[in-house]
Amino acid sequence: MTEQPTSPGEAAPRIHVAIVEDDLGFRSALERALRAAPDMRLAGTAGTRAEGIALLQGPPVDVLLVDLGLPDGSGIEVIRAAARQWPSCSIMVSTNFGDETHVMRSIEAGAAGYLLKDSSQARIVDEIRSLASGGSPISPIIARQVLAHFRQNAAPAGAEPAGDEPQLLSAREKEVLDFITKGFTAVEIAKLMGLSHFTVRTFVRRIYSKLKVTSKAEAIYEARNQGLLAQ
Amino acid sequence: MSPRRQAGRLLSRIAAALLAATAALAALSAWSEGEAHTHAPSLHITEVEWQVLNAPGFSAAPPTQDSASLPTAWQPVDLPHAPPVSLLRQAAAAAPGTTRTAWFRLSTQGLAAAHGPLVLYGARVRTDGTVAVYADGQLVHTAQQQGPLWNSSRTPLWVPLDQTTDGKPPREILLRLEHTRASQVALSSLWLGPADALSWRHSWRHWLQLELPAMFSAAFLAVGIFAFFVWFRRRHRTAYLLFFVLAATSFLRGLHFYIGFPIANDWFAWLTVNSLFWLVLTVHFSLLLLHRRRQPWLAGTLIAATVLMGLLTLPVVATLPNTPKVTPLIYVMAALMGLVVALAGGINAWRGRSGEAMLVSAGVAMCTAFGVGDWLLQNNFISPEGWYLGAWTNAITFSIFGTLLYRRYVGAIVEVERVNAGLAERLLAREAELELSHQRLRAVERRQMLSDERQRMMQDMHDGLGSTLISAIRSVEHGGMSDAKVSQILKDCMDDLKLAIDSMEPVEADLLLLLATLRFRLEPRLEDTGVALLWEVRELPTLPWLDPSSALHILRILQESVANILRHTRATEIRVGTAVEGDGVQVTITDNGQGFDVESALAQASGKGLHNQQRRAQMLGGRVAWESGPAGTRFTLWLPLESPHRTP
Repeated sequence: MTEQPTSPGEAAPRIHVAIVEDDLGFRSALERALRAAPDMRLAGTAGTRAEGIALLQGPPVDVLLVDLGLPDGSGIEVIRAAARQWPSCSIMVSTNFGDETHVMRSIEAGAAGYLLKDSSQARIVDEIRSLASGGSPISPIIARQVLAHFRQNAAPAGAEPAGDEPQLLSAREKEVLDFITKGFTAVEIAKLMGLSHFTVRTFVRRIYSKLKVTSKAEAIYEARNQGLLAQ
Repeated sequence: MSPRRQAGRLLSRIAAALLAATAALAALSAWSEGEAHTHAPSLHITEVEWQVLNAPGFSAAPPTQDSASLPTAWQPVDLPHAPPVSLLRQAAAAAPGTTRTAWFRLSTQGLAAAHGPLVLYGARVRTDGTVAVYADGQLVHTAQQQGPLWNSSRTPLWVPLDQTTDGKPPREILLRLEHTRASQVALSSLWLGPADALSWRHSWRHWLQLELPAMFSAAFLAVGIFAFFVWFRRRHRTAYLLFFVLAATSFLRGLHFYIGFPIANDWFAWLTVNSLFWLVLTVHFSLLLLHRRRQPWLAGTLIAATVLMGLLTLPVVATLPNTPKVTPLIYVMAALMGLVVALAGGINAWRGRSGEAMLVSAGVAMCTAFGVGDWLLQNNFISPEGWYLGAWTNAITFSIFGTLLYRRYVGAIVEVERVNAGLAERLLAREAELELSHQRLRAVERRQMLSDERQRMMQDMHDGLGSTLISAIRSVEHGGMSDAKVSQILKDCMDDLKLAIDSMEPVEADLLLLLATLRFRLEPRLEDTGVALLWEVRELPTLPWLDPSSALHILRILQESVANILRHTRATEIRVGTAVEGDGVQVTITDNGQGFDVESALAQASGKGLHNQQRRAQMLGGRVAWESGPAGTRFTLWLPLESPHRTP
């Protein structure tokens, strides 16, 4: 199931959103925000990890919001399962502070973005829309962490698993990250690099997916090193 | 008592080995001289005829000697033959004068016809004059033409006899032994037979009496020299010096046993006699070192006797003429000294419970016994067939002191190994100790760090979040605040909290990253207000001192500035810029608001925010400044590149 990114206002296929969240306050805030957005629809809700996993058995949605601190386990598992079962779905982690440890772990598990829970309704809708259309948000500290991650893996140690070669950042991707660490916004970066600001956000999405791949490759490599996986 | 028991065990082992060696030697000698040997048809001659003639002095043996031309006063005599010597008379008649010639006549009757050359073999021929052998009247062998050599009495007789022209063995053999009037000759039993049947007797005699002891003597000296060099580097180890002196005196003493060329030097004779005394004395000092019981009287007496003997026998003084005729009496003295040393050593070893001293004492006793045996043999008190064992004293001395040296050596190795093991153990213990104190230090550091961090967070909460929340609660309770205002205050609190969390993220000394984070957090608020933010930052050098604590200070200073602009001015535009300024970096925040009177604001109580900014900047070793006019305000924060004094 594929849905083309749509612009607001157009009477076209809606953006289906599902949420795995035990915080009822945020859930209702999201419901309000989605109700106000004509192009979006809440397709499912889950309050626990188990419900979240069960939700994945149903038809895929376009954007899945996941909270990490679920009562019966970590949302990371839901993200991982969703990335596997709903490959076309954009996963978003909802977080209070957007702190590096939460966000990086989620991205490595397969998330494409994050949503600050104290965001205004308008911003929530904007973020979901941007994510559904292939863009990703990023903060300066996350950008620095991503850069550091790829710098560490620039010279991969030992034999990497064939076919899963670690993808390196392109020069332009690096440039984007660099601007972000210096405090420039997507719009400013787009201007500086002569791109559209939407392109900048899709750059970020691509960087995230590379991060996910290298993290997976590293995990496999580590597992082989420790004899957990057969050669 | 383990070392003493060990010493005892060692002693018994060595004693057993010595006993076995002596027994083997005795057995060998008995076997070699015995009749049981049936190797070949050799004639063992034990009955001869002899006579002694007076002569005016030593003369060269004539090339031929017909026995018929000699007087007919032949008397039968049994071999071995050793007429008794009167030692005192011999010593008294030291003056040279007339001599005597002893003739021995041997009949070869009974000798089976044999092929190959015949030889005459005798274990010992002793005289202080010349030796000559005639076969059927023809001179076939001479020895000691210039008087006896030092090793003569130890060198067995070996005379090859040429076949006569008719191919038959000689019928009669004559021995001519010249000697001084007061001294006596000695002759062991003789063997006549084919060379290959008798050579083993001669070889064994020669090897056991001359060559083997000489080898021991040389080996002893070599080890002694080694000990000397050890002592040279370790002067306080007198035992090594003593060992060297022992080896040296033993060697000197032993020299006369082996020297087979004439040395007509009085000093050599002096050395030979006196080295025996020195040897005994050195052994005594070694014993003192072993049993550690002082015997000043005995030591003094022994030294005095040795010195006296040395002086009396000095060739230049010649109070006692050091001649073969007098020395037997001197050797009695040496034997007595050896006996005293052995006894005293034995008693003190027993009292001092020193197995090693006991071993040495036993060795001294044994060597003394050997010496006495030699003396008896030399002076015709016992059969000349016997063995000179005196030469073996070197071997005994070497074996015993070599054993002691070996024990010291092995002991030193064991000690070094033990010390090394102890050292390794101590090192391990120290390492463990170090690790423990390191762990303690780390724990203290961790506690300190936690405490610092807690203090920092408490301070921050107290100044910011805490007081804002308290005033919000109060306002809500009194109902004097709109919902929008409460929401605004809570959003401010949320921003405070986010910045506090951001300050703990690793920024890697990058001030720009910190500014970027601030912008990222404040952007939504700015968007709401509609104020434009112009980002005009430049690359900055890193600030190595930038840790979470100072990061939070910087964030708070700048947050306050932006908040002030939003709160108190009607600015539509904020510019944020960075620059390198002197030996520091500068962050400027410029607005286009209406400005304010900096001095009066600082003077007022409401200027608390500004004072907080100043205080925080000072803590970082930096400073803040405001330039305000009607066209706007320019706030600058200057921070040093390196922080010379940092107060947390």
